[in-house]
Amino acid sequence: MKKEDNILEKYSGRRPFTTPEGYFENLTANIMAVLPQEESGQESAVKVTMWMRIKPYVYIAAAFAGIFFCVRLALGTTSKDDNMQIAQTEEMTIYTDEYIDSFLETAMIDDYTIYYSLVDINN
Amino acid sequence: MAAKMAYDEKKILEMLREDSISKRRAFEAIVNNFSEQLYWQIRHMVLSHDDANDILQNTFIKAWLNIDSFMGYSKISTWLYRIAVNETLTFLNRQQRTISIDIESDETDIKNTLESDPYFDGDETEIMLQKAIAALPDKQRLVFNMKYFNEMTYEEISEALGTSVGALKASYHIAVKKIKSFFDNSD
Repeated sequence: MKKEDNILEKYSGRRPFTTPEGYFENLTANIMAVLPQEESGQESAVKVTMWMRIKPYVYIAAAFAGIFFCVRLALGTTSKDDNMQIAQTEEMTIYTDEYIDSFLETAMIDDYTIYYSLVDINN
Repeated sequence: MAAKMAYDEKKILEMLREDSISKRRAFEAIVNNFSEQLYWQIRHMVLSHDDANDILQNTFIKAWLNIDSFMGYSKISTWLYRIAVNETLTFLNRQQRTISIDIESDETDIKNTLESDPYFDGDETEIMLQKAIAALPDKQRLVFNMKYFNEMTYEEISEALGTSVGALKASYHIAVKKIKSFFDNSD
C-alpha cells in the first residue's frame, strides 16, 4: 500500500490538464458574448417581489401558529373539562345526605315546612 | 469595454435587482470571479477541454436565464456550483448512455481520450489515476476532485455542494481507498 500512498501524495494538487493559450484571459468575454440579450422594455420573467422574499418565512410562521393554536385548543379544552369535573365533584361533596340531614336538624325545619316550601316553589 | 468591477457579493446582489445594464455588469463580475474555478471543477469530471468549455458556457447561460429567481438564500458560489454539477452529471449520464456501459471499454476510452488530448500533459501514472477516478461513483469523484486537485477545504466543499462535512470526509476517504485499491490491483 505504500506505493499507492506515494502516488497520491506525489500528484496531489497537480493538474495534468492544460488549456489553449490565453483561454482564461478571454473566458469572461467569451461567456458574456454567448449570453442571450435581455429584450429591451421586457421585464424579467420572474420579478422578485417583497412578498416572494418573505413568503417562506410567513408560511413557516403560519404553520407554527397553527400548531400552537391546536395545542392550546387541546390543552385548553382539557383543563376546562377538568375544572367542570372538579366543580361538580365539589357540589356533590357539599350536598351529601349527611350534610342535608344535619342541616335540617340544626335549622329546626319540620317535614310540613319542607312540604310547604316544595309546593310553594312548584306553584 | 468598461473596467472589470471588484467582486463584492452584497453589491452584486443589489445590482442584480436594478436595470438591465447593471444586471449584466453584475453578472459579468460573477463570471469573472467564478469561471476559472468552475472550469477546473468541470474539467476534472469530463476530462476534455472542449466538453468542459461547453458545459461551463451552459452553466453560465442557465444561471443568467434564472438569475431573477435567485433569491440570495445561498451564496452565489453555492448556486453556481450546483448548476455546474448538475450540468456535468447530465452530460456524463448522456455520454455513458450513448457510448458504452462496459468498464473495460470505458478505461480504454479514457486512455485514448487523454493520450490524444493536446491539453493533457500527464504521464502514464496520471492516466492511471484518471482511470481510477473515472471508476468512482459521481459524488465520490466530485468530492475527490475538489479536495485532491482543487485543494478545497471540507468547509468550502460543504458550502458548494450543500453536504455535511462529515459526509464529505467519508466520501473522500472511501474514494482514496478505492483509488489505492485500483492501483494495487493493476500491479
